[in-house]
Amino acid sequence: MVDRYSFSLTTFSPQGKLVQIEHALAAVNQGITSVGIKATNGIVIATEKKTPSPLVDISSFDKVSRVCDSIGVVYSGMGPDARLLVNEARKAAQKYRRVYAQDPPLPILVKDVAAVMQEYTQSGGVRPFGVSLLIAGYDHHGPALYQVDPSGAFFPWKATAIGKNMISARTFLEKRYSPRLEIEDAVHTAILTLKEGFEGVMDEKNIEIGVAQMQEGMSRTGEKVQEVIFRVLTPLEVRDYLANLS
Amino acid sequence: MLSAAGPTHAGPVRIPMEHGFSPYTDNGGTTLAIAGDDYVIVAGDTRQSEGYSINTRYCPKVFKLDNNCVLATGGMAADGQNLVRRLKQSIEQYHHVHAKTMSPSALAQLLSVVLYGKRHFPYFVWNTLGGLDADGSGWVYSYDPVGNVEKRKWACAGSAGHLIMPFLDAKIGHHHQSQIDAKTEGKPGSVPFDTAMKYTKDAFTSATERDIYTGDLLEIFVIRKSGVTVEQIPLKRD
Amino acid sequence: MEYNGSAVMAMKGDGCVAIAADRRFGVQALTLGTEFQKIFQMNKYTFVGLAGLASDVITLSDQLRYKVKMYELREERPISPETFAHLASSSLYEKRFGPWFVEPIIAGLDPKTGEPFIASTDLIGCINFAKDFVVSGTANSQMYGMCESLWEPNLGPEDLFETISQAMLNAIDRDCIAGWGAVVHVITKDKIVTKHLKGRMD
Repeated sequence: MVDRYSFSLTTFSPQGKLVQIEHALAAVNQGITSVGIKATNGIVIATEKKTPSPLVDISSFDKVSRVCDSIGVVYSGMGPDARLLVNEARKAAQKYRRVYAQDPPLPILVKDVAAVMQEYTQSGGVRPFGVSLLIAGYDHHGPALYQVDPSGAFFPWKATAIGKNMISARTFLEKRYSPRLEIEDAVHTAILTLKEGFEGVMDEKNIEIGVAQMQEGMSRTGEKVQEVIFRVLTPLEVRDYLANLS
Repeated sequence: MLSAAGPTHAGPVRIPMEHGFSPYTDNGGTTLAIAGDDYVIVAGDTRQSEGYSINTRYCPKVFKLDNNCVLATGGMAADGQNLVRRLKQSIEQYHHVHAKTMSPSALAQLLSVVLYGKRHFPYFVWNTLGGLDADGSGWVYSYDPVGNVEKRKWACAGSAGHLIMPFLDAKIGHHHQSQIDAKTEGKPGSVPFDTAMKYTKDAFTSATERDIYTGDLLEIFVIRKSGVTVEQIPLKRD
Repeated sequence: MEYNGSAVMAMKGDGCVAIAADRRFGVQALTLGTEFQKIFQMNKYTFVGLAGLASDVITLSDQLRYKVKMYELREERPISPETFAHLASSSLYEKRFGPWFVEPIIAGLDPKTGEPFIASTDLIGCINFAKDFVVSGTANSQMYGMCESLWEPNLGPEDLFETISQAMLNAIDRDCIAGWGAVVHVITKDKIVTKHLKGRMD
């Protein structure tokens, strides 16, 4: 009995730890790196798109997902787990819209997703999610970025990274981040951060970037209003950013 | 022998069809009357509708009966027109017999009797009669279809009657009005002519906004000592 | 809707809104009370007026207050009148096939911008966003007639109070099952003025 507490999900070890959850975090730390950066006028999340074989058609799936008009999410860790969470997040957003006829504020959605992840740490017959999420959108002060871990814990960040190269990426961001950063620079910084630990040549196909920004929209009464829109950048846009790097 | 299985004969069955007929219809429209010290305003819109359709945008429902009396009819247009024809005949007869014009109070009584005469098959009409009495002051008589009559200083009826009535109470009756400028607003039930005209037009333009059966054209009849004049004001046609 | 009788209306002004209701509680033609509350304050700037079945008025006002309190604890901010209108609407539609017999009116100022907001819904939550006035209750046609002829744009708080009071008092005098006094709230950014109007008691 090397470790009697490492299999039961809901039993604390004598050290006061739930080791399964720590193992889940370990799974995240083997996952592909994702970064998120808050800018003054928007927010960016980005990740690598890595495949086990060059034969995989990477244009046919996305790693950065839209939850609702104003919110997007990216993950590090296990893809299938992330898809379930994205689905839950989308359902939570729609449920909120159904009642209030507007997108949920980011903190509300984050709490909803975190609640799902927490439930999987305390229920029978389940395992924790092998993913951490970066959720990007706006709160009442402006752009906001949250990280949610398998435990259900969540943190607001100015800029952060999760996954394999988390440590070095965060060190890089600590040096590069400025609170006066604008969205264009934030996208550049995000790409540079990913480049730190990138294996091979980065191009518009093997990275994915999502941006939430204020845009002109139309209100119920037909007046022009500013609204938050999250969108995944097209490969063409990513190529332009990459071209401007060098 | 009776069969529990229903009709035993074969072939097509002719089921007797019942044809319903209603002798009444509501053609909508609104009427209004305001009496003053020396005038009566009797007004009505000219739209005639049935259900969600407009039959015509100009079918008057306010009629000059003689030099001193104007009648506004609302409800079923056919009954209204027929009633007016009968009244005009009676008035002419009265001229021949008595060699004088009928007083509004006499006509008011006549109208009540005519309506009540059809107590069991009433004219489907809500009438408002305006006229100047012997001392020249204006009065309004309003009726239900069977001849109930009330002598008043202001009245309105028809599809937008509910909308306009409280407005007249406030503006003509000065209900709930504590600060009144007597110069422009007069006394309760006797407001100056120009003011009454303004409220008549306001009442109809407002009613036209919310009542689909009121609109197209407003006809305002004014009775004064000198006789009856008519003014037409366009209303919204939507 | 005609079981108890009621009259509720709201009007927009310049930087202010007003909401008014009659105070009668009765069963058909029998008047039982003259101090019945039909307008409820949901938070600092949001009011809801409920016209319709009196028992549903009480129950629904409690339920809406509960939902607003939970929203404000969850989101750590006051609910805006517009969001509240959607909340009320979805609460009503939840009971699409066994509805509350209530037609609410919402009035308030946006807690952030101070923008005036009024709306009404039908008993299953179809929202009417009006830019002038909204009415609800058994005296609705009378109120429409009054509001349509008395209301004008950009009224200040005092003029708005006078307008809504006149519209309310004269309208309820022509409805047998609404009236017996009225209450008016005028909501501005810095204060809420509540006045009780004397009316005919017959």
